[in-house]
Formats: sequence, structure tokens, C-alpha cells
Amino acid sequence: MAEQPKQSGVKKTGFLPIHTNAFDRVFIGTIVFVAVHLFWMRFLEVHLPLFLATILSVVIGWIIVARG
Amino acid sequence: MRSQSIGWLLLAPTLIILVIFGLVPFFYVLVVGFTEWNAFAANPGAHFYGVENYRHLVFDEQLLYSLWITLRFAFFAVLSEIILGYFLAQLMMKDFPLKGFFRTIHTLPLMVAPIAVGATWRLLTVPGLGPVPYYLDRWFGIDYRLGSFADQAFWTTVLMDVWHWTPLVTLTLLAALSSLPKEPFEQAQIDGANRFQIFRHVTLPMLKPAILATVFIRMMDALRTVDEVWMLTGGGPAAATRYIGLYIWRVVFPKTDYGYGSAMSLLALYLTIVMCWLLYVALVARRDLPKGD
Repeated sequence: MAEQPKQSGVKKTGFLPIHTNAFDRVFIGTIVFVAVHLFWMRFLEVHLPLFLATILSVVIGWIIVARG
Repeated sequence: MRSQSIGWLLLAPTLIILVIFGLVPFFYVLVVGFTEWNAFAANPGAHFYGVENYRHLVFDEQLLYSLWITLRFAFFAVLSEIILGYFLAQLMMKDFPLKGFFRTIHTLPLMVAPIAVGATWRLLTVPGLGPVPYYLDRWFGIDYRLGSFADQAFWTTVLMDVWHWTPLVTLTLLAALSSLPKEPFEQAQIDGANRFQIFRHVTLPMLKPAILATVFIRMMDALRTVDEVWMLTGGGPAAATRYIGLYIWRVVFPKTDYGYGSAMSLLALYLTIVMCWLLYVALVARRDLPKGD
């Protein structure tokens, strides 16, 4: 009997507009992490320190990985 | 178990090459991006600099301008290449006299090195020497001076890129068109669809994977263009054609600011990945798109 190829990951449907596996969600989380930091440094760092951007992007990343 | 070992053994050369030439340089640039490392500085060695390079680049007006014109360049060049390449591929699906000769001539620019393409276009367009400014002035009264007018320099670089890379798009789409089954087209004709409807509802959906792959390849190429433009305009006049690749080159080599150059390279890579991913999501991976598209 022919061996069936394994699936690369479990596809999931969350709030993101695409079907994602764990790798996709970590990738999106990383993209968001960088974007939040760059945006923060450009527009908000004068008023708010950068570690808040790290906290915010880790929270967003966790939400994306868990529920995206 | 044994077949799995053989699989890994066969994959090993590719994986080793990928790690040595892909992952190692990437992580090296990632580390250098967090250092201050300038060969001309008082302390020329690399030392940890935190996120200062990234803090600097989000306020670097020259870099942001370079990014903006690079995006403009990529948009106009890739769009023109896809449209022109599609029509040329459709043309080559038909029989006409000297088709083989035309196809060979059309493919020739692909074989020319980018630096030679830039040199050729430079010789064609330099005022007082090249035929293009001479005939534009003589026939249309157009004052064409690449070194003086920013718009002319920009559109000439777009035109040069289109000339160089449209054959790649043509060949890719020609291969895709040749492999399409005939039945859906015949059925659409029987159902009374006109040519535009056939294009919109039959050809385009079936060509979508090939078009998307071509757009990705061309967009990544267009965003990192350096040598052609360097040869043609040198990034000028002023900063009119100083695309992101050229700007990074200036910072890394003449200025020897390796830390900041690495940070800019990573930003360019980041933007390229994000744009390709967004395009992929918008055109292919959205949940609300019908299956099979």
C-alpha cells in the first residue's frame, strides 16, 4: 500500500481572513512585531518608551498564534 | 524508516547549500544590523548598538524617499511587464510569418547581463552622443536630458526594466497558455461568451498561478534593482532614481557603514516579504475566494 504524505500542519480557521497553520501564525506574528516596533519608534517613542511596543506586540502575537 | 533516511540523504546537499548560502548570511546581517560598525569611525570595530540603527532608519528622509521611488518603480515596471508579456504570449500562440525569428529576437534581452543593459541604454540616451535624444528633439521637439530631468530619468529606468524583463514574463505566460486545456474555451464559446468574458472568467482564473509566480519573481527583482540603474543614471539626477538597492550600496561601500547598511537591507527584505505575502493573501489564500480559483 502506498505511503500517504503527511500534512505539514493542522489548518485552522480563526479571525484571520485565511486558513493558517502554526507556522503561518508565527510568521504573521513576527511581521506584526517588527511593524509595531518600527511604527512606535517613528511616531510614539517621544511620548512612550519602546518596551511598551514590545509588550503590545507580544500580546498581539500571542492572540494571532492562539486565535488567528 | 530506511526510505526516510534515504530521503534526508538525498535532500542533504540542498539543505547544506541552503544553510551556508541562505541562512548563515541572513543571520550574520541580522546580527550586524544591531551593531555600530563603520570602518571610518574613531572606533572602527563592531560593537553592540541596540536598536539605534532601526531608530535612525525610520527618521532617515533619504531612505524613505528611496523606498517610495522604489515602490513606484516596481509597480509601474511589473504592471507594464505583465500586461505587455501577456499580449505578446497571446500573439505567440498564433501562427504568423517569421514567428521563430521574432521569438528569438524577443528573448535576446534576457541573455544580456544587467550591467551591459545599463551600458547599452546609457549609450543610447546620453545627450550629444546617443540617437534617442537626437531623434526625440528632431522629430518631436522633446528636450530629452537624462541628467537634468528627474521624470525622464525615472521613466527611462522603468522602460529599460520593461525592455529587459518582459521576455521572461512572455515565456512564462506562453508556457502556461500552452498547457491550458481547450475544453473550457470551447464550452464558453458554445455558451455564447464574448472574448472579454472568456478572458475574464476562463483564461484569467486558469492563468492565475502562473501570473502570480511571475509577479512575485519580477517584484522581488524590481525591488532590488541596482546595476542597470547604476550604469544608466548613477541614481540621479539628484536622488530621482536612487532606488533602495543603490542607497544601501552607497551606505555600505563608499561610506563603509556596515551596521546601518545591514539594518536597511533587513528593512528592504522585510518590505519585500510583506508585499509578496499580502499579494498572495489578496489573490489566492483568502477564505471568501471560491475554491479552485
